[in-house]
Amino acid sequence: MATMDVSPTTNGFRVIHPLDDVAEQKCSSDGLGQIAMTPSVRLSLKILRGYLILMSLMLIYHVLDLAGVLTHVKF
Amino acid sequence: MRLEEGQLDVAVKSATNGVVVRRAWQKHVLTFLMVFGPGLIVMEADNDAGAVSTYVQAGGQYGLHLLWLLVVLLPICYFVQEMVARLGIATGKGHAAMIYERFGNWWGRFSLFDLLAVNFLTLITEFAAISLALSAMGISSYVSVPVAAVGLTLMVVTGSYLRWERIVIALCLMDLTWFVLAFMMHPHWATVAHNSIVPTMPAGGVTSSLIFLVIAIVGTTIAPWQLFFQQSCVAEKRLRFADLKWARLDTLIGATFTVLVAGAMMLVGNYGFEHRVSFQDPAQLAVALGPIAGNFVRNGVLLLMVNAAVLGTTAISLASAWAYGEVKGWEHSLHKKLWEAPGFYATYMACVGAAAAIVLIPHVPLQLIIISVQVFAGLILPSAIIFLQLLLNDRELLGDRWVNRPWNNIINWTIIVVLFALSLLLAAQVMLPSLFKS
Repeated sequence: MATMDVSPTTNGFRVIHPLDDVAEQKCSSDGLGQIAMTPSVRLSLKILRGYLILMSLMLIYHVLDLAGVLTHVKF
Repeated sequence: MRLEEGQLDVAVKSATNGVVVRRAWQKHVLTFLMVFGPGLIVMEADNDAGAVSTYVQAGGQYGLHLLWLLVVLLPICYFVQEMVARLGIATGKGHAAMIYERFGNWWGRFSLFDLLAVNFLTLITEFAAISLALSAMGISSYVSVPVAAVGLTLMVVTGSYLRWERIVIALCLMDLTWFVLAFMMHPHWATVAHNSIVPTMPAGGVTSSLIFLVIAIVGTTIAPWQLFFQQSCVAEKRLRFADLKWARLDTLIGATFTVLVAGAMMLVGNYGFEHRVSFQDPAQLAVALGPIAGNFVRNGVLLLMVNAAVLGTTAISLASAWAYGEVKGWEHSLHKKLWEAPGFYATYMACVGAAAAIVLIPHVPLQLIIISVQVFAGLILPSAIIFLQLLLNDRELLGDRWVNRPWNNIINWTIIVVLFALSLLLAAQVMLPSLFKS
């Protein structure tokens, strides 16, 4: 609860800091396991894998280029 | 709602705690002030030393031409961080823990490793900036860097989240000085307004350095650590479901303030551009501006650079310590004393101490590290943001109340596609440099 309303006509409103308030029951992942592999989740993770592979290749190319290894194979 | 043992004490305490106000608007203002903090801090801490360098360099190289980019980035910052705040309030857990729980150990380790690696590189840039700025004021790095590291450690070991938050908000507000400096530069305000709304092409057209700088600006404005930091911060502050609207306002204020400060930094850089000042970093610019604009500007830029670095360091180190603590299952809270959460505080101190030590190694190529980190962060952001988007569509976890609405998804997938496109553009620039004029 964000604030405890205490009789608005007599005492006004009691405003409580989050750190002093009663803990809420949050959305819990206990017992849920991993996220359901819906088509959109599967596609997103595939795209992410492809992206990371591409970036790794780019990084390797760049490092090799900076090291001068690729000068012999460039045309 | 069933209260667990220990929460009963809080329940009894909360019934008598708090502040009683008479009017509804007072209740709203007070509640907002109590919730206020994480949104401003995460945004303004993102204007860290690397950001100062990038924005000032953008102004120094391209004048006012890239101001529009900041305006474009404002809603992007807000939409991304709003999702983070919503997820934090709904679950009460940090981002790293959620990725581990919902995507498994492989993706969890990948995300955590990425976060810790980029954060650590970024911390080096923060201490490098402290060293550069205070060296320009005649203070040796061997004094400034260790003193800063000790100060940054003392900020967090007080055992009070609120004390840390108040100190950091005060540091954020010091960035208002950037506006004073920007006004002292007497920019042509009509051009500022025009270039903020209408994208204009700098002289020379699209070059590799322009693309590099655009990606660096995107990378510095939306950084991966922000996702982890704000969610952990919201969980640490125990924000409640009903606080979401105030957390959103906090985030919007933070995003707006940050973009305005970034614009002010570009105006300062633009002053150097107009006076043909050549500089490699903001400290050089500040020193060069001294004879032209006066010592207030010189010292102001240098001290604000230090402030930016301090803000960035404490937020980034905390993002790492919270994430690592969550994953390890350690106590990971600023509410805990040093001896109650040793692993959490040790992680924070290790990040700060090691980054400070590396900066003291002679001849470290500082400016190169600063720009490289921004680009690297821009590259890995798409992966971090995809997990956020998937989690916000996890109906099994969040239920109907907290998941993204269709319009949220349209906006967020668009943002993700743009970030991917920018990253791929960078890849093309590196692998096929002949595509772009240098």
